[in-house]
Amino acid sequence: MSEPLLSIRDLTITYHGHGEAVPAVRGVSFDIERGGSLGLAGESGCGKSTLANSLLRLLPAGTDVKGQIILDGQDVLNLSPGGLRAVRWTSGAIIFQGALHALNPVQTVGDQIAEPMLVHETAASDSVARDKAIDLLRRVGLPAARADSYPHQLSGGQRQRVLIAMALACDPHLLIADEPTTALDLMVQAQVLALLDDLKQERELTLMFITHDLSVLTYACQRLAIMYAGRIVEEGPAWDVFAGPSHPYTRALAAAFPTIGDVSSRMAPSGLGGDPPTPGNLPQGCPFHPRCPLARDECLVAEPELRSSGIGRSAACILV
Amino acid sequence: MHPGVTPLVEVEDLHVHFGAARAVDGASLQVAPGEVLALVGESGSGKTTLIRAIQGLQKPTSGEIRVEGTPVDNRSRRQIQMIFHNPAVQMVFQDPTGALNPRQTIYEIVAEGLRIHGQPKDEAERVAQALSRAGLRPPERFFQFYPHEISGGQRQRVVIAGAMVMEPRLLLADEPVASLDASIRGEILALMRHLVDDVGLAILVVTHDLGLAWNIADRVAVMYLGRIVETGPTEQILDDPKHPYTRALLSVVPETREMEQQILVGEIPDPARIPEGCRFHPRCPLLQSGTLPAEISGRCPTDDPGPLAVGATSAAACWAVSMLAADG
Amino acid sequence: MNSIAMQRRRATAARVWRQFRDSRQGMIGLGVLGVFVLIALAAPLLADIRELNPVFARSSGNPQWGSPEVFAPLGTDHIRRSVWAQFVWGSRVSLFVGLAATILTILIGSVVGIVSGFVGGKIDGFLMRITEWFLVIPFLPLAIVLASILGRSVWNIIFVIGITSWPSTARLLRAQVLTVKQRLFVDRARSLGAGGPHIVAHHILPNVSGLILANATLAVPISILTETTLSFLGLGDPSSASWGKTLEEAFVNGAMVRNAWWYFLPAGLGILAVVLAFTLIGRTLEDIANPRLRRGR
Repeated sequence: MSEPLLSIRDLTITYHGHGEAVPAVRGVSFDIERGGSLGLAGESGCGKSTLANSLLRLLPAGTDVKGQIILDGQDVLNLSPGGLRAVRWTSGAIIFQGALHALNPVQTVGDQIAEPMLVHETAASDSVARDKAIDLLRRVGLPAARADSYPHQLSGGQRQRVLIAMALACDPHLLIADEPTTALDLMVQAQVLALLDDLKQERELTLMFITHDLSVLTYACQRLAIMYAGRIVEEGPAWDVFAGPSHPYTRALAAAFPTIGDVSSRMAPSGLGGDPPTPGNLPQGCPFHPRCPLARDECLVAEPELRSSGIGRSAACILV
Repeated sequence: MHPGVTPLVEVEDLHVHFGAARAVDGASLQVAPGEVLALVGESGSGKTTLIRAIQGLQKPTSGEIRVEGTPVDNRSRRQIQMIFHNPAVQMVFQDPTGALNPRQTIYEIVAEGLRIHGQPKDEAERVAQALSRAGLRPPERFFQFYPHEISGGQRQRVVIAGAMVMEPRLLLADEPVASLDASIRGEILALMRHLVDDVGLAILVVTHDLGLAWNIADRVAVMYLGRIVETGPTEQILDDPKHPYTRALLSVVPETREMEQQILVGEIPDPARIPEGCRFHPRCPLLQSGTLPAEISGRCPTDDPGPLAVGATSAAACWAVSMLAADG
Repeated sequence: MNSIAMQRRRATAARVWRQFRDSRQGMIGLGVLGVFVLIALAAPLLADIRELNPVFARSSGNPQWGSPEVFAPLGTDHIRRSVWAQFVWGSRVSLFVGLAATILTILIGSVVGIVSGFVGGKIDGFLMRITEWFLVIPFLPLAIVLASILGRSVWNIIFVIGITSWPSTARLLRAQVLTVKQRLFVDRARSLGAGGPHIVAHHILPNVSGLILANATLAVPISILTETTLSFLGLGDPSSASWGKTLEEAFVNGAMVRNAWWYFLPAGLGILAVVLAFTLIGRTLEDIANPRLRRGR
C-alpha cells in the first residue's frame, strides 16, 4: 500500500480583500490514492475552485493558506519558488474553470500545448516539443493539422480537448479538472468524459474532478466528496454516496438532477429553498440548517464534524 | 390536442437561413393551452433560433408562425415584433442577472410591463401579487431592492413575476435554470409547474437538459441540425425513444438508468453543410451497426425523411422507424 | 411607488457623496474648485471692476509694470491696470465660458450620440459622417475661420468651442449606447412591448448618465484650456478679461522679457489649478462609478 499521491490536512484558505477576511475553505482533509479519482462536488461559494487552485499555489498573493498539502511527496505550501516551479505541471496540472476562454487567441494551439514543455524543460528543443504537442493532439482525438489552428477556429469541445492536451504536456501524475464539461453539450460531454477515462487508464493518471453536477461524477470517479460552505459535508465511494446519500444536502443535490424514467421525479422537481451561503456570512451552527428539511434545534448549536456513516463513508450531520 | 382547440402557438414549416447556414430547416410544432413543451437539442440544433423566431427577435426566411390562431406577418422586422405587444405571450430568459436593469428597483422592473400598456390603478397590488406568486414573500420587502442585492434564484423569480404580472397564456423560456445553482433549480422549475397547474399557463421551454424535460414537460420535441427529428409525450420520448439520435442522447445522459452508452463520433455538422439524405445518417449508430435491412439502409444516405407534419403528436423522422412500423 | 424609487435614488446619491468625501484627491479637487468658484462669485467684493479700465487706472495714479511690493496684491500691467482685478474678474469669464461651452458640447454630443447609437441604420451613418467631418477638421484653423466670420465675442467663443468639441462626446456616447442596447434587459423591455422612447428614457439614459457626467467633468477643463488658447491667439473677446486674454496681453507686451512674473503667473497658475481640480474630481467620480479601475491588478 503506497502513499497517497495527494494528501491534504486541515486546509484553511482565507481571502483578504477590501479589509475583510473571507473564509473560503475551512479545514478540509482528504487523500487521493495513486491511480484513484476523486470527485469534488458543490455549488457556487462552496470553495471547491479555491481548493483546486491552492494545490498548485495559484491563489492571488495575500491569500492566507494554512494546513498541509503533500503532492507526490512534496510539501507544496513550503516549497521554494524553484521547487514550486518543478512541481507545477509536472507533478500536478490543472484545467481551469472557464478555461474555454483562457486560451491565448493569438497563439496557435500547437504552440500553446508545447509551451509548458519548453517552460518546464521537459522537451529538449522546439522541434521535440512540437512533435510531442502533435502527438498529444492526436491522443485527445484531434487531427495533427489542428496544431496550426487558432482557438477561435475550434469548437467548444475541441478547445476543451486542447486544454486537456495542454495539461498533459509534462506528463503530470495528478490531473485536476475544474468544471471541464460544464459548458459543453451532452454528447460532447460524454466524449470528453470518455477521453479522460481512457487517458487515466493509459497514463496511470490520478484524477481530481470538480463540478456541481453530481451525476457526472458518479461516472467519472471512484470517490466523491461534497463541499458546502468551505467544508466537506459528505465523503465516500461515488456510487454509494449518489445512490444512498447520508447528508441532507447531498440528497438535495442528487435530487436536483432527476433520474430519467424514475416515476417519483416525474412532474415533481425537487429543490431547496434559500440560497447557497456566502462565505463571509455563514449561519450559526451547521451552515446548512436554514435550508435543511430535517433541521432541529441542536443544529444551531455547533457545526457538526465528519462522522462515519458507513464503510469508508462519512458525513457531517448529527443525524448520521 | 382536441380538435377545435386553437394551439397557443403554432409553427409551420419554418425556415431560418443565415446565408448558406440553414439554422432552422423546416420545423413545425404546436403548443396547446395548459401544456408544457420542451424543445431539446444540442448547440447547433437550431432550438435557440427557433424560439427567437417565435419570440419575434429573429426574422424567419420562410414558413408561418401563428399565435392564438393569428398568423404573424413575417415580412418586416416591425411586423414580427407585433408579438411584443401581445401580453398573452411573455418571456423568461436564460440569464436572470443580465435580464434586469441594474438601475431599476424590483418594483419598477415588475411594474414595467403594466406601465407600458397603460397605468392601471391597482398597479402596486398587482406587482405585490405577482412577486408573491413567484415565491418572493413578503412582496413589499422586495419592492425597494436593486437586482444586485438579491440572489440569482431570486432574480429569476423577479423575471418570472415580471412576466406573470401581464397574465400571459404562454411563456417562452430559453434555458430558464441553466445559469442557476443546482440546489435551487428545482424550486424554479416547481414554480413554473405550479403556474401551469394553477392558472393553466402553457410553456414552451428550450433546453439541453433532458432532466428538466422529465421534471416539468408534458411533451418533448427533439431537434437536430435545424429539424425536429422526434416528438411525443415525455414518457414516450425519454423512456422509449425511437429516433437513433434521441436514443444516443439518452444513453449518455448521466442521469439515465442503465442504458448502454452510445457515444456519437464527432460533433453536429456545420448548418451550412447539411449532409445529404437523412441529415443524421453520417453519425447514426443504427446505420453503422449493419443490422438494418438493405431497403432501409439504402435510403438513409440518399433520401431525406423530411420534416415532421405540423399536427404530429408522436412521430420520428427516421426511415428505420417509419418503415419498420409500417411492416409491424 | 415612485416614492420608493425616489428614496432609493436619494440613498444612492448620499452613498456617492460619502465615497467622494472619503477620497482625498476628490476633496482636494473640490476644495480648489470651490475656492475659485467663490472668487468668481465674489468678484465685485474682491476687486473694483473699474480697475480693469485703463483710463481709470491711469487716473488712479497706478504705476506702470508695478511689482506686488509696489502695488499690492499682484502688481500692475503695462497700462497700469491692477493684475489682481484682472485675475478675479478673469476667473469669472474663464469659468463661465468653460461651463457654458461644456453644456453646449454635452448637449449636442449626447443627442447625436444617443440618437445615432440607438436608431442605427442610415441615420447613424449620416450622423457619424458629420461627426467624423468635424473630428477631421483641424481645430485651430476652424476656430480662426469661425471667429473671423462671427466676430470676437464671448458667446461666439462658447459657440466655437461647443461646435468643435461635441464630436468626441458623441462618439463616446454612441459606443456606450451600442453596448447598452445589446444588453438583455433591453430585449426584455422590448418583449414587454416597450417602444423606442420608453427604452431610451428608462434603460439607455440611466445607464449612460454616469458616462455623461464623467465626460462633462473632464470636458470643462478642456473647454477652459481651449478658451485660453483662443484668447491667447488673439481670437478672444477684446472687451472681456479672461485669463487667456491676460496671458496674451502679458506675452504681447513683453512681460516675459521684463520678468514681470506677477502679470502672467497668477493667470497661468489659476488655469492650472482649475484644470487640475476638475481632473481630480472627474477621476474620483470615475473611481466611484467603476471600482474595478481602482484595484488595477
